[in-house]
Amino acid sequence: MTKRKLALAAPLLTLAAVAVAFGIGAGSGLARSAGHRAVFKAAWIYVGPHNDGGWSQAHDEGRLMVQKALGSKVQTTFKENVPEGPQVAQVIESLIRDGNKIIFATSFGFQSAMAAAAKKHPDVKFEMATGTIQLPNMAEYFGAGEQAIYLAGMAAGAASTSGNIGYVVPFAIPEVIRHTNAFALGAQAAHPGAKVKLVWMNAWFDPAKEKKAAESLHTAGSDVLGQNVDSPATGQYAESVGVPWVGYDSNGKKFAPKQWLTAAIYNWGPYYLKRTKAAMDGTWKTGFYYGTLKDGFMQLAPYGPKVSAKTKSMIAAKKAAMISGKFDPFQGPLYDQSGKLKVPKGKRLTIKDLYAMNWLVKGVVGSPKG
Amino acid sequence: MIRIERRLEQPGWLNVAVPVGSLVLAFGLSALVLVATGHDPLQTFRRLIHAAFGGQAQLTETVVSATPLAFTGLCAAVAFRMQLFNIGGEGQLYMGAIAAAAAALLLHSLPMAIVIAAMVLAGAAGGGLYALVPGFLRAFLKTNEIITSLMLNYAAALILNYLIFDSQSYWRDTTTAEAKVFPQGKMLPDSAAWPSWTLHGLGLPLGFLLAIGLAATLWFLFSRTRFGFEVKVIGDSPRAATYAGMRTRRKILAVMALSGAVAGVGGASQDGDFRHLLDPRGLQQAGYGYAGIVIAALARYNPFAVVLIAFLLGGVQNAGFTLQGADFPSGLVGVMQGLILFSALGCELLVRYRIRLASRARRPVPEAAT
Repeated sequence: MTKRKLALAAPLLTLAAVAVAFGIGAGSGLARSAGHRAVFKAAWIYVGPHNDGGWSQAHDEGRLMVQKALGSKVQTTFKENVPEGPQVAQVIESLIRDGNKIIFATSFGFQSAMAAAAKKHPDVKFEMATGTIQLPNMAEYFGAGEQAIYLAGMAAGAASTSGNIGYVVPFAIPEVIRHTNAFALGAQAAHPGAKVKLVWMNAWFDPAKEKKAAESLHTAGSDVLGQNVDSPATGQYAESVGVPWVGYDSNGKKFAPKQWLTAAIYNWGPYYLKRTKAAMDGTWKTGFYYGTLKDGFMQLAPYGPKVSAKTKSMIAAKKAAMISGKFDPFQGPLYDQSGKLKVPKGKRLTIKDLYAMNWLVKGVVGSPKG
Repeated sequence: MIRIERRLEQPGWLNVAVPVGSLVLAFGLSALVLVATGHDPLQTFRRLIHAAFGGQAQLTETVVSATPLAFTGLCAAVAFRMQLFNIGGEGQLYMGAIAAAAAALLLHSLPMAIVIAAMVLAGAAGGGLYALVPGFLRAFLKTNEIITSLMLNYAAALILNYLIFDSQSYWRDTTTAEAKVFPQGKMLPDSAAWPSWTLHGLGLPLGFLLAIGLAATLWFLFSRTRFGFEVKVIGDSPRAATYAGMRTRRKILAVMALSGAVAGVGGASQDGDFRHLLDPRGLQQAGYGYAGIVIAALARYNPFAVVLIAFLLGGVQNAGFTLQGADFPSGLVGVMQGLILFSALGCELLVRYRIRLASRARRPVPEAAT
């Protein structure tokens, strides 16, 4: 009995000894390299892979723009596939230990860890995408996705013959609900009476599940597919069955060259550049940024071959009206699913209303509760 | 011809040589991959070890990662000892987290010690009762517990999602601004925040100390009591156990409940030590239960070894996030972690078996055809 236990302890002790030996060796090596730090360090935290073909990729393109514009003056890095929970706090701490002075976190689930770290490290700037908490050293930023999504919805409505459009959606939260509503309203503008059917994923990025959802929507009769999730799985499926597809977050044309229509895309780069520069020269201030089409923050991805000239000019007119302020996706009259008037004629919803939106517009088939 | 044969006796030096050899093999294989992808292997290994064990802050974070792994590792080790393959540590951990969060919310006004004790008990009960489902099926209907316990993981994940995303449950926060933007659990009261102690700059959360205490208790139970002896006999030879008059069914139920309870306390520790709310997405992204199975196997079901291996793997996991970045894809980190585990588990074989290079069979071997 004791001999066996001894035998068990021996390998573990060796493992531990090797680890400790390496650790001591590494400690001195790293202390040296940390000595010279003239460049400004900036970091990004992604919930999915940096090349997910959607949300995280759009952020990473923004990061690359910062790196390119500022060259050797900055050193940017990212952490990808970071799970929400205690792990985020560790990732933030290790980024700060590595000398990063500004940290951009790009998923709502990172917010509480970001806020806690911001209170602990007043000398570091924190930037939280899609969040709600503002602190002296923590700013919030996002974009009016609804504007560009409305335009993408128009492309979907115009491409549909049956008026039955499938939409793959992540979580039943105000952000996604307002995006869904904008998509449906856009589709109905181009195709009066269009219906938008929802399948909830309860995940931002789950390619296997998204593909299944796309499949079920298509079999249930949708002749155009759209999405508010992060991966291009819906598009790959759409391409395989020959159904037009509206993507989200990034230009996904390469995933469905024939069926690609367009997508609402976020141009994070200019914001990231501005904020990183401000952090470098000491002019950084907290804030709440909500980018729009007018700013160039919200954009529409290049059209695919299936978008007709007529649709393009119709979308261009709406876009111009939104930029000039003559039109807003959420201007009344707007009705909810039961036909009740929610926004009277001549009234528009405020950003506060948008951040708390919990009802779906008429013509959306699905529950706003997920 | 290469043959693998069981060793008639296991020389003691193998217990040292094999783990060290497997570590060398893992480093060698990783070095090949690193060189092939243009990274300096020595520098990378140093960074890895430094990020995991190189300082008090790193060690503290490693303990945070190791704590849930120690619980799920013990959960698997307890059941596997009796050849009872409880793959359900993942779901049992969720159920423990749900029960412990309920206890904390219900008893919020009571003194801290009582709330914490109630959380531990509720966590144990939640995990234990959930594990009894596959336990009963196995004991009375001879259902394969691998399948049932695995399937119940998905059921538990759905319950977890339902409580926070799909219903206005007792656990769900419906009042705060953040919860309106994204569904989340109610913040647990301050009296439910488990304490942690600092020893020479190393943070030790209550959960980790509990895991060590549990490991000691389990070791005593399995090596010093009649219960432990019977479990061992049933595991080695169920028939012999039956002839000896041991109550196999009862043992199955007891061991499953114990195994699930350990995972459940791990869930309670997630609530109390780290997350301070019921966090369905974070728990599901982490996959602690499945990692626990690997840990139990590496530790050869020895409770103390489980804690040590959990600590080492926690370090590797933690270091993975430090290592990855713009110039070091997370996939490469995964490959390195995989190679370490693969080598460690693969070389385990060599302790019990040996590989012989025999010359071509001198006489015809009938079963060689298979």
